[in-house]
Amino acid sequence: MKFHWFNLMPWPHLPDDFRETNRSVWVDVDSRLYDPVEGHRVYNEYLDQLEYAASLGFDGIGVNEHHQNAYGMMPSPQIMAASLTRRTKDVTLLLLGQSIALYNPPTRVAEEMAMLDVMSGGRLVAGFPVGTSMDDNFCFGSNPATLRDKYRENHDLIRRAWEDPEVFSWNGEFNKIRYVNIWPRPIQKPPPVWIPGGGSVETWDFCAEMGYNYSYLSFNGYVRGEALMQGFWNRLGELGVEFNPFQGAFAQQIVVAETDDQAEQMYTEHMQYFFDKCLHVYPGFADAPGYRTENTIRAGLRAGGAQGLGIAHTLTWDDWVREGYIVAGSPDSVAEQIEALATKLQVGHLVSLLHVGNMPDDKARASTKLFAEQVMPRVKHIWEDYEDHWSPKPIGSQDVATPAPVYSGAN
Amino acid sequence: MAELSTLDLTPGGQTAHVWQGGDPLSPTLLFLHPVTGIPRWGGALEQLAQDFRVIAPYQPGWGPAKDDLPGVRDGLDLVLFNVDLLSTLQAGPAHVVGVSIGGWIGAEIAAIRPDAVQSLTLVNPLGIWSEQHQGEDIFAQHPGQPSAVLFSDPAKRAELLMADRDQLDAYVEELLDLRASAKFLWPIPDTGVGRRLVRIDTRTLVVTSDADQIVAGQLGDIWRSAIPGAQSVEINGSGHLADLEAPEALAEIVRDFALEGVTA
Repeated sequence: MKFHWFNLMPWPHLPDDFRETNRSVWVDVDSRLYDPVEGHRVYNEYLDQLEYAASLGFDGIGVNEHHQNAYGMMPSPQIMAASLTRRTKDVTLLLLGQSIALYNPPTRVAEEMAMLDVMSGGRLVAGFPVGTSMDDNFCFGSNPATLRDKYRENHDLIRRAWEDPEVFSWNGEFNKIRYVNIWPRPIQKPPPVWIPGGGSVETWDFCAEMGYNYSYLSFNGYVRGEALMQGFWNRLGELGVEFNPFQGAFAQQIVVAETDDQAEQMYTEHMQYFFDKCLHVYPGFADAPGYRTENTIRAGLRAGGAQGLGIAHTLTWDDWVREGYIVAGSPDSVAEQIEALATKLQVGHLVSLLHVGNMPDDKARASTKLFAEQVMPRVKHIWEDYEDHWSPKPIGSQDVATPAPVYSGAN
Repeated sequence: MAELSTLDLTPGGQTAHVWQGGDPLSPTLLFLHPVTGIPRWGGALEQLAQDFRVIAPYQPGWGPAKDDLPGVRDGLDLVLFNVDLLSTLQAGPAHVVGVSIGGWIGAEIAAIRPDAVQSLTLVNPLGIWSEQHQGEDIFAQHPGQPSAVLFSDPAKRAELLMADRDQLDAYVEELLDLRASAKFLWPIPDTGVGRRLVRIDTRTLVVTSDADQIVAGQLGDIWRSAIPGAQSVEINGSGHLADLEAPEALAEIVRDFALEGVTA
């Protein structure tokens, strides 16, 4: 099993009465709650944590994309990933991901991801989500009625821009470019593609068709995620795709302390901050008409609609652990829960959200260190009989460039 | 009684799903439905059919035409669809009544093919944006009852839009109708029609509803003043979907204006 350290990069200073004074953490959240000078400190702290995780032996470190969002302050995952290329060596850069339907021309995405792959020596995972309705439709104004068609065309264009050595023209419905010929080209041919999704049937078929990794990014936790991941594996089976756990990834919030009690004492307030404030999204922004396909709408209605996140902020620590919203406790407890997660979900990649809500740096590092040193060694063997085709293939160490020391002055 | 039929249009070759009702010898009325499509034969359609031969197509993308949405890209495609429909039915120039997004389509038809339009009634039309009179965002509503904001009282959605239908199918159709609307009105309902209104030389009436949370009365004034010689009138007690909420009042207004040239 492989572990990727991930931080959503939340704004850690939302007021106690945030739910009462703001209708949404996303799209129209009050910008006056943000302090750019404090933001400077927070960005550096979060980037330090990603580099710290790399030094502890995590397989990957992850960044993602959100817009006008107080719980996810990475409008550009490329900028974040670029800053991580220089001070890390062999860790996977999990860019999970870029909402490729939003960019015109999408060759810009192809270029920036190629740059990242070259800068990092072939360590990039390219995440291609459709993106959320909040980001795509409401923040970027992308039309929900054509979003998925545009997504597919942009995907096809990016892949060809990476892989076709010839100059070509693209006369699509959404993009018309007479000369496509990106420089640089990625090291990997192509970088492994992961598709973050939330349960759309069409996305499963797309992953099956293209041989991509499907990453279920949910804050509902692994207990509630079981049915959905099983749906994915079943669909792959129906389509004749051989099971390989590394074709699946799951995002899970995790906190570790010396004991179970200590974990509860240390982390409850930060989990509460996350569920109470960071997930306070106005429902009218969650699902623009057309964002979901008819198939997905009907499947959701048959399943009784989405339940879970709406109530998470009303639950207690014991509820969160029992229902799998969080994996939490001592290293022994966490290892047991990870084993249960792997059994239920059958995923080879765990996107490990080890910084949560307004967690301060010392707690994030303590939790991360315990996980890396006392949990990962006990669960890494899971799925060791399978070959991982969805991780990067970096260049050899003999070819890796080392940043020169910074010139420190005439003396 | 009215009939829902399927036609192949010439010369465009599209398929149309069309409600037709009323006496075939009565004056022709082309009804252009609002963002929520046509939930059933009834409402203003039934009232109008007393005086008109009513032709009420589902625009491509709405209702039974849900899969036709990719075939239309813009307002011009919608104009051609409706003009082809009138031509296929040999219906001649029609009294055009457009509600909500249908108001936009009706205005485009009148601007581009004035010969196809005998009179034009625009009811709570969408398609012009005003910073000062934005109204509610029809696409940012609670997904459990996405059309509730279109009524003067949210509870009327259940009665006027959803009643007597399979609830699951009606809900899915509601979402898909709004998807079709979004194709043309997302993210801001500014279709550019405002630049073409000066071309309209057909008798035009702009109807607004006093309880419409989407199209404010002041926005109706902008439409009226942009169309040469247009008149306006207000319906009391109705929200955006006046065809469902105030069918008798709307039908009377249309009848008086289209047939008698009288504005209340």
